[in-house]
Amino acid sequence: MSAKTLAYYPGCSLHGTSGEFDSSFKASARALDLTLQEIPDWECCGNTAAHSINRLLSVALPVNELAKVEQDMKLDALAVPCAACFSRFKTGAHEIEDEGVAADVSAVVGRAYNGGVAVQNLVDVYHDTVGLEELAAKVTRPFEGLKVACYYGCLLTRPPKVTLAEDPEYPTHMDAVVKTIGCQPLDWNYKTDCCGASLALTEQGIVDDLVGRIITDARACGAEAIAVACPLCQVNLDGRQTEILRKQSDWKSVPVIFLSQLVGRAIGVDDKALGLKKHLVDVTAVMA
Amino acid sequence: MTTCTPSGVLATKVGAGCAENPYKCYQCKKCSTGCPVARYAGMHPAQIMRAVQLGQYDMIFEDKFIWLCTGCETCTTRCPQGIDIAAIIDELKIIARRDGKVHPDAPSAAMLKLNYDSFVRWGRMWEVELITRDVLKRPASAKAWLSLGPKMLLKGKVNPTLKKGDAAAMKRMVQNAESITNARQQKGGPA
Repeated sequence: MSAKTLAYYPGCSLHGTSGEFDSSFKASARALDLTLQEIPDWECCGNTAAHSINRLLSVALPVNELAKVEQDMKLDALAVPCAACFSRFKTGAHEIEDEGVAADVSAVVGRAYNGGVAVQNLVDVYHDTVGLEELAAKVTRPFEGLKVACYYGCLLTRPPKVTLAEDPEYPTHMDAVVKTIGCQPLDWNYKTDCCGASLALTEQGIVDDLVGRIITDARACGAEAIAVACPLCQVNLDGRQTEILRKQSDWKSVPVIFLSQLVGRAIGVDDKALGLKKHLVDVTAVMA
Repeated sequence: MTTCTPSGVLATKVGAGCAENPYKCYQCKKCSTGCPVARYAGMHPAQIMRAVQLGQYDMIFEDKFIWLCTGCETCTTRCPQGIDIAAIIDELKIIARRDGKVHPDAPSAAMLKLNYDSFVRWGRMWEVELITRDVLKRPASAKAWLSLGPKMLLKGKVNPTLKKGDAAAMKRMVQNAESITNARQQKGGPA
């Protein structure tokens, strides 16, 4: 069932290097009868940096946003499509289950958050909030069996004590979503292996190595495209392939597409909102 | 030959900082077999845990491992003892910074700080600013962007501008968090 209003936290990357994730997610939500209300004046969730510099701040920042959703916006669900932001929100909500931490966090934020907001990642929104039946009913341009390797990466599912993911070592909800829109999800080995994340800014050699392994396995398992739900995974898997190609001339690139773009294409979202021209590895053939 | 002098000092510090008990580790090495970056460093997560138990502070900080950790949470997910190993590695990064023990050849340490400073300054993290400031500090890093950077800009993949968050609210929260953390540290409690 749809026609629901969700608070929306885009996060820094969706306004920076992943505008197509933002626009495709918003357009797909609209087509699925979801109303998104962006949190006014949202702050950075603290990302990778805060939890290795100031632990208390790293918990307080997402909890501050959750308090805004609960008490200012009076909504009970928050969509956080960026997997890294999602992880910080789930971690914040988990950490304040400890009363001592909760007291410190309330002192930082200036008010208490009472736990009234369900935090949903991109896969949750399609799989649970919309639901597979409802999604199937909205499909107007199904894919014709496009072979897709669903790449979950790290933070959609780990650690499971925080995300409450059903099967963190071999998740399947994204697979179920792509199957609903006519793709053929593949079994493969690197579903939840790390792409190197922010090491792409400083240790490019390591990231090229990790990305190379992931894509090589996806290709060996028959993937015509890789589906992702994280802006950093997308920019690494997509962008680093152009660098791998420079070092390895026989490299066969595989398009790396946000789940929101795949869903959007299948339910009739226009190409401009899908942002298909922003990819470094061309996606037009598989998205045609 | 390196000799180990068990002291327990680091284990106590680390445990106090992140509410984890490193002594629960019995060296099964599941963390290390699943670690995506262990092969690029001198130490792997199980060795880090052992060094923490033995108080081998310098051994950890002389290796790059903690600065290559991506925070993928595989170690934490798989630990049969339920230790949040990734949180311990975060805590080691915090201690290294506080005690001036950041590895000299770990650009990721400086990048994390640039990232932190960016969202503290603007209320939101500005990706283009991180790369620009890193290149200014570390001109050699420009080489890594010569090819990919312009391609991303030409495709419109990067939005070079920033829409600020509520920077005043951010500054207030940062000040509150830092003062509470510092007060706890002086009392010898959790950092």
